[in-house]
Amino acid sequence: MDFHAIHDHLKAVGAPGLEGADEPRPEDKKAKDKGRFGDPFLIVDPQQLRQFLHVCRDDPKLKFEIAADLTATDPAKDDENLWINVQLLSVTHRHRLAIKCLLPKSAPSLPTTVPVYRTCQWHEREAAEMYGITFVGHPDPRNILLPDDWVGHPLRKDYEFPEEYHGISCK
Amino acid sequence: MTQPAEQHGSMTLSEGKQTPGGEREFMLDVRTSDLEVNMGPQHPATHGVMRVLIRCDGELVTGAQPHLGYLHRCAEKIGENVEWLQYLPYTDRYDYLAAMNNNLGYSMAVEKLMECEIPRRAELIRMICAELNRIGSHLIAFGTYGIDLGAFTPFLYMFREREWMMALFEKICGARLTYSYIRIGGVFNDAPPGWFSEVERFCDVFDKAWQEYYDLLAVNQIFVKRTADVGVISPEMAFDFGATGPMLRGSGIDFDLRRDMPYSLYGEAYAAGAFQVPIGKGEMGTLGDCWDRVWVRAVEMAESVKIVRWCLDQVEPGPVIADIPKTLRIPPGEAYVGIENPRGELGHYVVSDGGKIAVRCRVRGPSFVNLAVLEELLPGTFLADAVAIIGSTDIVVGETDR
Repeated sequence: MDFHAIHDHLKAVGAPGLEGADEPRPEDKKAKDKGRFGDPFLIVDPQQLRQFLHVCRDDPKLKFEIAADLTATDPAKDDENLWINVQLLSVTHRHRLAIKCLLPKSAPSLPTTVPVYRTCQWHEREAAEMYGITFVGHPDPRNILLPDDWVGHPLRKDYEFPEEYHGISCK
Repeated sequence: MTQPAEQHGSMTLSEGKQTPGGEREFMLDVRTSDLEVNMGPQHPATHGVMRVLIRCDGELVTGAQPHLGYLHRCAEKIGENVEWLQYLPYTDRYDYLAAMNNNLGYSMAVEKLMECEIPRRAELIRMICAELNRIGSHLIAFGTYGIDLGAFTPFLYMFREREWMMALFEKICGARLTYSYIRIGGVFNDAPPGWFSEVERFCDVFDKAWQEYYDLLAVNQIFVKRTADVGVISPEMAFDFGATGPMLRGSGIDFDLRRDMPYSLYGEAYAAGAFQVPIGKGEMGTLGDCWDRVWVRAVEMAESVKIVRWCLDQVEPGPVIADIPKTLRIPPGEAYVGIENPRGELGHYVVSDGGKIAVRCRVRGPSFVNLAVLEELLPGTFLADAVAIIGSTDIVVGETDR
């Protein structure tokens, strides 16, 4: 199925948390719009992401067996939201789906998706340490790539590089 | 580096807890405790700097916890601080055994935003390089797996062909391991005179050598006994843990991104009957065991040679890079591209705001994802099999940590 068919199907089955879709558009010089390129994606409420993924995985017409990726993005320093980006892959139907959730930086917390896809366990640990996101109900919320005592969330745009770490100068 | 973990097994016969088998009863008086053993960070079987904390009860593994991050080099943060093209050399350095494939994945993600057309000759050279690199990577995976299990000799034979493959890359781009050859818009330069005919000779020699390796290692009885029925990943488990590549095909699932979601010219090559996708069948034991995964890698090498031959037939003179500016300004938007790396799906998720530098440069490394299955797979196996299982996941630690 292509993106439109997947979107229509999810609307028809009433997938929880589905808020809309964002599609690429060409550049419009008259309206001074630079356009948007790349992949279309669905916008989903982060608090209902787990239920939404459940539908995506179990619906016989979608069958997204594999969560290829779950990550976060900090679009800009002054942006008030973080993004959660999920990439799904269906082996049976050979299609993909990109999902984006807008998560306010003031309260970066959402329920974990590990009960749906166990592969998300490590992806969520990485997103948590890099962006300071809390995945409520995560079975093993430790740092994965960073040391346990690391201060700050390195992939945030307002991250300040440390001057020293355990007596080692970082300058 | 061992330490006693929580005490258990202190029950005695006087407590009235008896095992059904009478011959084990004398054991109940022995005080035993679980041992926590650090496998790594410098264990040869981890193929890099990784530590698996294994808890074992005698020879039986009761728990395993991989600890990563020893090779973390902030690739994603660097991606947000250097220009689009400047990031390309960093892609070489996460999966250093398949650098051509990494270059290809990153370039394709950026090209998706640029919507630029790649010349046909460039696509063919890209495919030749990616497949030769896949052969080299699988040779290492296959060979070092033999070392892990005590067979040193096959590895030395495999390095003979790998050396030639690296010499071919040295001729085309000057580097042996970190190529940065596949660029955004095409490839860096054209192949030198005589390069294609040397690749053809390599293919001829490799076909014969491949049969040697296969007979020497894959169907060797000792090797089969160490790997068959060990570390079985069921198809459901493979899906749940997001396994891709040979890990997924070893579990009997017929899925290859090159065929099923074709990129570059792989769709055309498959339609022309240039290659097949090998999937595990449980020939030597259970479906999804270590032997199946290794067998899939071994047969994939032979299929890669066929793809290279198909490309060599198609090559025609022409430009090798699209007309793109020196300083790239990528149109705003976001794109995810997943390609079939030797280890599975290598995903690049890039976000641009229209400037010279990426807003986000996410790398989905297949090793990172495939490794997570260890926590589930190791408990309940024997300690000696732990090495066989870790080796069969074929991880590159540079990629798990990035």
